[in-house]
Amino acid sequence: MKPLLAISCFVLIVLSTAFVVHADIPKPKPSQKSGNTTIFSSLEIVPDPKANNAKLQIHQSDLKALRAALDGQSTNTTLATSISHSGPRTIVAGVLLFLSLSFGGVWLARTSRSGATLNRGQKTVAVLLVTAATLGAAAIITRGNAGPPPAYRWKNLPTALAAGESTAGPVMIEVIPDDPNTGTGMVLTIPLKKKNAQGDDE
Amino acid sequence: MQDALDLKPTTWRSTLEAGTTTRLRVFAATLVLCVLASAAFASWIPLPVSIITVFLFAGPHNWFELRYFLMRLPVRFGRSRNFFITAFAGLAVLTCTYFSLPLIYRLSPNSNEWWLTVIAVWNTLFLGWLAVLVWLRSKQKPRSNWTWFLPLTFALCAFNWFSPDFFSLALVYVHPLVALWFLDRHLKRTRPTWVRTYRRCLALLPVVLVLMVWQLQQTTSLPESNGLFWRITQHSGAELLPNVSSHLLVSVHLFLEMLHYGVWLLALPLLGSVVTRSSSGKVWDWKSVPLARHPKGFPKLVGFALGFGVIMVALLWVGFSIDYSTTRDIYFTLAIAHVLAEAPFLLKMI
Repeated sequence: MKPLLAISCFVLIVLSTAFVVHADIPKPKPSQKSGNTTIFSSLEIVPDPKANNAKLQIHQSDLKALRAALDGQSTNTTLATSISHSGPRTIVAGVLLFLSLSFGGVWLARTSRSGATLNRGQKTVAVLLVTAATLGAAAIITRGNAGPPPAYRWKNLPTALAAGESTAGPVMIEVIPDDPNTGTGMVLTIPLKKKNAQGDDE
Repeated sequence: MQDALDLKPTTWRSTLEAGTTTRLRVFAATLVLCVLASAAFASWIPLPVSIITVFLFAGPHNWFELRYFLMRLPVRFGRSRNFFITAFAGLAVLTCTYFSLPLIYRLSPNSNEWWLTVIAVWNTLFLGWLAVLVWLRSKQKPRSNWTWFLPLTFALCAFNWFSPDFFSLALVYVHPLVALWFLDRHLKRTRPTWVRTYRRCLALLPVVLVLMVWQLQQTTSLPESNGLFWRITQHSGAELLPNVSSHLLVSVHLFLEMLHYGVWLLALPLLGSVVTRSSSGKVWDWKSVPLARHPKGFPKLVGFALGFGVIMVALLWVGFSIDYSTTRDIYFTLAIAHVLAEAPFLLKMI
């Protein structure tokens, strides 16, 4: 009875602390949502000395996504983009993956402790579980920390252009409303930073 | 009489073995031929073959499945009472909720995310139902350790929540393979000496699939010029996998579907009649079903179920003839019931 009482008191204290702490947190800033539609894709800039005109090549999938964006439909059509972009769903999936790993670990520990050898089916399940866990963890990690920022790939664009080499990197295709003041052409913005005398980014 | 007495047991045995070997070779050759022919037709002209295959075999294969399940259903549930109650209750709930999904879609706000969550919830209910069935079945088999299913269920649920539409697409592709598992279990019970040959023949399946992918990956996507073609390509996942040729997707799915129909319409009925070796084992004789034959059985119910099934198959053919696209949509919505029903009966055979 005493341990139960102690645990209850501890939980109560922790919860009351959490309420106090939560009360000090300022309100979250409202997210700045623009009405523009954004499509995630990749772009390769290829300098071609033999070419007479600038040429823009678009994949069919990107064109479909653009068309869908114009029609006001969902543009998440590719395999990579269709993997969960939803916060709540990612949380549920993460919790379930955690439970899977936990129960899988318990099962493995109990099997090894009982001295029973794993048969072929159980080994297959173990391999599947480890694979699923690895892929899931990789997905969560890549969603949580997507590696170097997109600008990193464009860092050496001027050097590559000067050398006549191609450069590829991620690009966001944004469909914006027509504006008579800014013209009707397309605008490509490359995230390049000015370099100081030592050659470092400012 | 004298001749009969003169027969030696060794001669009898060798004759029997020779007959068994011949039948086994015929079985293996037929299986390989069916796999190769299905792959060839599915790769060659997927859309027309898909239309004809569904028209001809979709309904009858459901009728044969119903008959097979009735054959497997015990007269009294006994120790399996909880298992069957869970199975039928889950089957009813999941089927009804699946039927209501189009209605929910129409009533839902115009949000893709909301819709994906609805699908994820249904898939989770399905996996949960499967897990409970496995747990109940494992209690009947105390020697075997089935606790691995719990982490596997959670892993599948996690995958489902990551991408509900891909999980649903995976079900579309995995479901035809369940028939091959049924055949494996059936052979193990009735023809154990054939199992090894059957499994060796199954090793051909991934090879054929790899060859199909290799051959069709560069093909141009199938035309979606009319509603029917669009439906067929969408069913195979063309919208979810826009960078994969829809020709490849439809061909692979059709190939698996043809194998599925082949198992239910050819392999299992033929093997059943071969095994029983009696006139009462004929497929149209509903009194050969144990549930109807048993003194405490339900002959009228079995007769009604099978007779109603025949009427439904005929109605399906009429519907396909009048409006193929709409009937196809209705059929594939209703067909979820047979997909779900396979799970408990397969578990009972494991």
